[in-house]
Amino acid sequence: MNIGILSTAHMHVYSYMAALRRLGVPIVGIYDDDAERGRRAAEATGVPFFPDAEPLLAQVDAVVVCSENANHKRDVLAAARHGRHILCEKPIATSVADALEMIRACQQAGVILQMAFPVRYIAAVRQLRDLVQAGRLGRILAMRGTNHGYMPGGWFIDHRLAGGGAVMDHTVHVADIMRWILGAEVRRVYAEIDNRVHQKDIDDCGILTIEFDNGVFATLDPSWSRTDAYPIWGDVTLEVVGSGGTASLDAFAAHLNVYSVQDGKGVHEGYGEDMDYYLIKDFVETVAAGRQPLVDGVDGLRAMEVALAAYESAARGEPVEVTLAAV
Amino acid sequence: MPNIHVLLVGAGTMGRVHAAAYAKLPDVSLVGIVDSDREAAEALARVHGVPATYSDLTTALHDVACDVVDLCVPTHLHSTYAVAAAERGKHVICEKPIARTLDQARAMLDACRTYGVQLLVGHVVRFFPNFVRAKALMESGRIGQVAVARMFRGGQFPRGWDDWYRDVDRSGGVMLDLMIHDFDFLRWTFGPVARVYAKSVHDAAAPLAYALCTLRFQSGVIAHVEGSWAHEGFSTRFEFAGSQGILEEDSRYTAPLWVHERASAATGRAADGGGAAAGGVAVPLSPVFVNPYEAEIDHFIRVIRGEETPRVTAMDAYEALRIALACAESAQTGRPVALGD
Repeated sequence: MNIGILSTAHMHVYSYMAALRRLGVPIVGIYDDDAERGRRAAEATGVPFFPDAEPLLAQVDAVVVCSENANHKRDVLAAARHGRHILCEKPIATSVADALEMIRACQQAGVILQMAFPVRYIAAVRQLRDLVQAGRLGRILAMRGTNHGYMPGGWFIDHRLAGGGAVMDHTVHVADIMRWILGAEVRRVYAEIDNRVHQKDIDDCGILTIEFDNGVFATLDPSWSRTDAYPIWGDVTLEVVGSGGTASLDAFAAHLNVYSVQDGKGVHEGYGEDMDYYLIKDFVETVAAGRQPLVDGVDGLRAMEVALAAYESAARGEPVEVTLAAV
Repeated sequence: MPNIHVLLVGAGTMGRVHAAAYAKLPDVSLVGIVDSDREAAEALARVHGVPATYSDLTTALHDVACDVVDLCVPTHLHSTYAVAAAERGKHVICEKPIARTLDQARAMLDACRTYGVQLLVGHVVRFFPNFVRAKALMESGRIGQVAVARMFRGGQFPRGWDDWYRDVDRSGGVMLDLMIHDFDFLRWTFGPVARVYAKSVHDAAAPLAYALCTLRFQSGVIAHVEGSWAHEGFSTRFEFAGSQGILEEDSRYTAPLWVHERASAATGRAADGGGAAAGGVAVPLSPVFVNPYEAEIDHFIRVIRGEETPRVTAMDAYEALRIALACAESAQTGRPVALGD
């Protein structure tokens, strides 16, 4: 099996390529519509640069799409046309219509559309899901999640390319694991969203309240509220409250505190497992086996719908009923 | 300096905490303890050498000369007791929340104003050094403009007289009884609240309660307040994220002393973590020589002497109740609730 990279807009592309190397999967080349960015990535990784996507698509079995959110559709449709399996960076797209078009195109072409939700590949998240599904916490009543991070800048703060700011960028990770752990769908969303941290023209903070169709309520903080002074880029946490107990997940808790004059501040040196590696490994195995992916396009759509509902709620000042788009 | 005479009503967990605080103050005398459980009143009176005990407030007010009535009774009783004390010209010290309903709270405010006595409500978080320092740091601009405040407060479901915490009609549940501390602190720090949205669960049978509230302040600050009577071991956490930095504390990691006594049938001691289990309600240990409850009671006595102005006014307590009730209403109706002015 060999792989092509469609765009290097999203920085995750570097850890995905490192994981592919570790697995011994050949990377045929990098295509990027921003030739300068693509050449830079190609040079840094020692992979050939393709100024056009078509010749690259002609040579590969599967692609990793790491373009800007709004360009996922373009790249996924191109790969599907060539019958190539796809791992797509999150969020799936910036609109329901785009996501549906992508999902249907992949269905019709008979190719795998897997979403890059790396949080599902954290061992503690798996264990938490197993505990919940085995009933160890009784009936689940509530959840409280966070996915904080630095403000990434660049195209992430360009509405046209990103489809939104912190809420679009960070809601999807935790919304996805909440859905996955509960085995339930989002029914209603309320959100307070603002732009108070970075003085950029895009949302950078907020609190979402999410209700699921099994009665569980949850909140989620997707803010880009970590500054450079903080010892780590961000977090993924999830508190689960059940009738039979509680569980507290801190996905990056495995760390050393490092205080070096070289850093100028105390930093966390994480020693947890590399979630991106397990994500890529699963994708490669899924393609090889031709099986249904763990996280598919519909999961990507459902997570994005939560972010879109949050924006709508904040604009209207009231809770929004989520109508799940029919696939 | 004339002695201040205090009549303490309620010999439960908070009554014991207040009694211990009075015992440390010079020129303050506990002159009586009232509790419907006369044995509990007598046991506490013996600890502090208090001369008289009563099983009802009316008799006590008739019988004993006092300047202050301190109410450490279930929330739904605050209003009747406070009004009775005010009518007799007694200053009122009262545990939080001020009352169970806004009408009850207004009756207390009116009576205390009419009879010219102080109404001092125990929003003790305003005396906790970690919270006081956090507020001062934010006001100094250390973390710039605050964007999102996150608060957690919680532990086990509290046990009290007649299991009154289980009964929302009497206690108001976790939002009124517990999270009101954070509502008051946030309002103290960020000003008036514009609107709230909340979700909660209260299972009296389990028992278990948990609530997640979003507060939007008129200043624009977004606050997330998590309150739990579903966890093991009491703790508080806060995180204030601003344009210039982050300020955070987790009380599980800031206690300078941890003592773990091995549970023993012989001593009847329970193994305990960071909190001192005073009866059925965990009270956190505080790493200072004067604990926040003592600082609060000392301050209240100074206010009554006319030496200090109240750090927390009766109106502050009323406003905190208004926020808590708005959250309860939102959780009930599923709608955001605007607070108005």
